[in-house]
Amino acid sequence: MCVGLSAKVLSVKDGVALVDCTGAKREVSAELLDDLEPGDFVMVHAGSAIAKITDSDENQAAKLAKEHLV
Amino acid sequence: MSELTERTKKYLEEYDGPEIRIMEVCGTHTHEIFRQGIRRILSPKISLISGPGCPVCVTPVKYIDEAVYLALESGCTVTTFGDLVRVPGSSMSLAGARARGARVKVVYSPQDSEKYASEHPDEQVVFLSVGFETTTPSDVLAVKNAIRDGISNFSILTSNKTMPGAYEAMRRSTDAFLYPGHVHAIIGTGICSELAVAGTSGVIAGFTGDELLSALAVTVRKFSEGKPFWVNAYPRVVTDEGSPAARALVDRYMQPCDADWRGIGVIEQSGVELRDEYSDYDSRRKYNIPEFKTEYKTACRCGEVLQGKITPEDCPLFGKACNPEHPVGACMVSGEGACSAFYLYGGKL
Repeated sequence: MCVGLSAKVLSVKDGVALVDCTGAKREVSAELLDDLEPGDFVMVHAGSAIAKITDSDENQAAKLAKEHLV
Repeated sequence: MSELTERTKKYLEEYDGPEIRIMEVCGTHTHEIFRQGIRRILSPKISLISGPGCPVCVTPVKYIDEAVYLALESGCTVTTFGDLVRVPGSSMSLAGARARGARVKVVYSPQDSEKYASEHPDEQVVFLSVGFETTTPSDVLAVKNAIRDGISNFSILTSNKTMPGAYEAMRRSTDAFLYPGHVHAIIGTGICSELAVAGTSGVIAGFTGDELLSALAVTVRKFSEGKPFWVNAYPRVVTDEGSPAARALVDRYMQPCDADWRGIGVIEQSGVELRDEYSDYDSRRKYNIPEFKTEYKTACRCGEVLQGKITPEDCPLFGKACNPEHPVGACMVSGEGACSAFYLYGGKL
């Protein structure tokens, strides 16, 4: 139950977003994120988009390594 | 594997500094670390211990008894995430109640439960509202939408918990926390900073292989420097402020309360419940559920597993009387539980 899934926003209307999660399309609540737009990537938890995803994990790892591990 | 990943992996393999115990607070972290084979490559100086961060695992026995009561005695339709169905209560699980004719339905989200209630006005629909800061906003949205849509046959049975109290209760069990990224997507990073000032270290981690490797490497590197620390190693999702919208929504409908953590006990102000003005949507008050003072006597040692005091393999029931087909403890029932992970992936593989 506690698993977050990343998904791409396809459309947003009346507080509901249609998202694509590795090919599966589903409506989720967009009420927690004000400025969602098609093309955004979001983290979905229990039927709600809870946060935007703003970068790839590879880029994030590179930045962390540069800052903390070099 | 990229050169960077290779270097990070090598650092964790060859680490020869002071010994460190890292607590994975989140059950999904426990499973992903196993699944990605990360435990296998860690230096013997690095120990991982599992914490209390699986909401199903920390749901108390009496909560299951309340849900069974609603299903069997009150005649409610109980809707729930699937992994709660087989968690043992003091006399039976929800699966047992279903076998006795109760209506127990698995849903994907609280909103699906509210939708089911709107489509079945002749049924009294209860949603089992269990989870941490990540799930609670969705539970509240379902209540908010039910009020908006005039749906009076929907309510939630709350056992929602908040992580800061658990961090405080667990902080002496570990040298550093691997903080659950999605909880901090809601609550932000302030608590990590406060804990570091108080001497408790930790790193906010994401869930992919690269994210877990880099979060663990940062944890070990910072620990070897000898000072309390915190790092947000999941900035692509977690911002310092978290989600003010989600917190405001929850604050409007819910208030802090003491919460009972299965196997651990009551932690003050570590939960939330619906405010009095929304009591019509609070199953506990709507159906006058009696006080269950149940004690579940078993040799199961889930409580110690949840506190990082033992590994699942130290429990006498593990893999014998308790296995995924016949779980005794909640840590084996839940797909995110530590016992389930150790059983599935073979302990220290």
